Amino acid sequence: MDRNRSRLFGGCALGLVLALGLMGKPAGAQDVTDQRLLNADQEEGNWILHHKDYSAQRFSTLNQINAGNVKDLRVAWTLQLGGVEGGGIWSHGGLEGTPLAENGFLYVTDGWGSLYKIDTHGGQGVLMWKMDPKTDHDWAGAIACCGVDNRGAAFWHNLVVTHTLDGRLIATDKETGKIVWQRQVANPDKGEVVTGAPLIVHDMAITGVAGAEYGIRGWIAATDLNTHQELWRTYTIPAKGEPGSETWKDDHDALATGGGSTWVTGSYDPATDTIVWGVGNPGPDWDNAYRPGDNLYTDSTLGLDAKTGHIKWHFQHTPNDSFDYDSVAENVLVDVNGQKLALEADRNGVGYAVDRTNGKFVWALPFVKQFTWTKGIDPTTGRPVDYDPSKGVQTYVASVTPSRTNKVTTICPGNMGGKNWPPTAYNPTLHLWYIPVIESCNRITVEETIPGKSFKPREGFTGGGPSDPIRITGSVTAIDVTTGKMAGKAETPYPMLGGLLATPDLVFAGQPDGKVMALDAKSLATLWEFNTGGGVSAPPMTFTVDGKQYIALLVGQGGAWDKWFIDSTPDLKRIAPSSTLYVFRL
Amino acid sequence: MHFAKPLAERAALALGFFLALSISAGLVVRAQTAPSDVAAGQKLFRANCAGCHKWHGGGGGSYGGDALSLRKTKLDRAAIIETIGCGRPGTGMPYHLRDAYENGACYGLKENDVANGMALAANNFLRPTEIAAIADYVIANVKGRGEPNYAECVAFFGTGSRVCNIYGDQRTAGAATK
Repeated sequence: MDRNRSRLFGGCALGLVLALGLMGKPAGAQDVTDQRLLNADQEEGNWILHHKDYSAQRFSTLNQINAGNVKDLRVAWTLQLGGVEGGGIWSHGGLEGTPLAENGFLYVTDGWGSLYKIDTHGGQGVLMWKMDPKTDHDWAGAIACCGVDNRGAAFWHNLVVTHTLDGRLIATDKETGKIVWQRQVANPDKGEVVTGAPLIVHDMAITGVAGAEYGIRGWIAATDLNTHQELWRTYTIPAKGEPGSETWKDDHDALATGGGSTWVTGSYDPATDTIVWGVGNPGPDWDNAYRPGDNLYTDSTLGLDAKTGHIKWHFQHTPNDSFDYDSVAENVLVDVNGQKLALEADRNGVGYAVDRTNGKFVWALPFVKQFTWTKGIDPTTGRPVDYDPSKGVQTYVASVTPSRTNKVTTICPGNMGGKNWPPTAYNPTLHLWYIPVIESCNRITVEETIPGKSFKPREGFTGGGPSDPIRITGSVTAIDVTTGKMAGKAETPYPMLGGLLATPDLVFAGQPDGKVMALDAKSLATLWEFNTGGGVSAPPMTFTVDGKQYIALLVGQGGAWDKWFIDSTPDLKRIAPSSTLYVFRL
Repeated sequence: MHFAKPLAERAALALGFFLALSISAGLVVRAQTAPSDVAAGQKLFRANCAGCHKWHGGGGGSYGGDALSLRKTKLDRAAIIETIGCGRPGTGMPYHLRDAYENGACYGLKENDVANGMALAANNFLRPTEIAAIADYVIANVKGRGEPNYAECVAFFGTGSRVCNIYGDQRTAGAATK
């Protein structure tokens, strides 16, 4: 199918470009239409949505590379990219993106938002064009809590749609690499930056924002790709008087700086026209006495009406969080046992399944080796068993929980998780959900936040900070979604900072020491390993060109680990910043 | 000078170090005090210090902890040079002299005297003249300053970035005030 399509598209390309030039609007067979996005899972050799398809399963049916031959996988080609320079508080940029693939062309972003189109035909990678958005490095880099990152692009008709760290949404002509239009969506003057890939739904680009460490009020915004105007913006922290504002019980307007960022691309359920999107931590991160109450909708999964942005349902994981346990992760939409589930692997170390039609809790399972902050999750409500609705300030396991009376404490998992942004993958045949785990504990020091004094625009608003005297490792942990029980755990020497790809009988992953590996989908045994020589902080993906399957992966230490968390993995200090696309083949 | 509330066990040890040694340390690094180029110091500050202490030197909370304010520091030039070169054992402030703990230059300690992980090495080491330049920059442009303002910000970043936008309403405030 893909080869036929490729030939067809190749023949149409010139005419299409001419037609677009004349009409000035999208048209033609190569267009990425709503219909194609809805059926993205059917385009076996392409990868046209950030998470592969709207369900965010990151599962490819391609099986030329399989358990029997993966031992022969080798580098096909590499391509050096850019964006490694620093800015603001950051000494370097990194790569966290998932490449998109369409008909043998890859589209990748670097940390500063440059977009590269690469022709992969003929067994090599040739750069076709590079779109440099001229991101304002210092404006954005001074308030990016966690690195110079950009997680990828999106397709809409003949455009490639991306974000920049300095808060823009940019539409680039797929053929020429020229910027067609752009729009400022987030405002770095308020501490807002954007690191996620856009999600395209119904001719809209959905944008999430980062900045909960800088006192933002989080939101999810929809831009009409036809008019370039904003259609809706849903705040994740209610305004005074709005539903949910009763969960902010302070007398000093804590919700105005309440955090709740949304920096990981969500998923979409066409059956109910619902966007499922995760919400991050409340601010200040570690001083929960500043903001008594459950602090909705922080640390929650939201089900949003796609057309209006209206919150249809929510499920909160860590009320009145004092751990920095974001729930910003992607939700994986899975149908199993007659149930329509949304799966989320949380920073708090728990994997959750909720009914994605109404947000009702189904099951939860701690997936980390060390789990100390609560005695467990209530199997009926999904709340931590030590949650006390009569309390404004939750203490959970009080000897562990950071608070104004427990100012230096060790929490497990540590504040990075659990599971952070690196995406999970799901094998729908085996019903196994694979989680890239940070097996961690770290130390939190609480600093009291003073109303009217502690918050300053563009300055940290964290109420304390973490330190990392304890060795941190990782694992790929598999959960059987039919039972909600753990099916396996493959331990890794370093935290999993890059995310996963599932194929019929394999799981691919990269590690921060540079190794890329393929695991057996059932046993999680390592079947193949290759050292790229650079830190891997990005998810692998797969595609076909000229009828042949390839695995692609961005290599270049991204994120916050080497700046803020390196003490927990001191031997990773030897890893140098880099910026390379690796592509593997049999 | 750096992290206000670092690792607890390190901090406890660190206090002991400083009480015991800071008075008696006739520090080699303190001898490197020739006047230096403030502009060069700013470049070095940007590359080596601003990641935690921020461009304005005010420090403040972040994922990395709570870097102390150089605007409010009471340290004199010699003490700033010592702190940059030797770091603050037991805190997140790393040492920037390559041989800080090889020959007793810092607090009379040698590598084996420093508990595992007590003293953090900086990502990039600095030469004594570079450390002095940073100290001179801090004294000239950071220490004793009040709230950051537009003029200071533009002096640091230039006008090519919007990073100073938020101080825009202070454009008429003139130079930084002590």
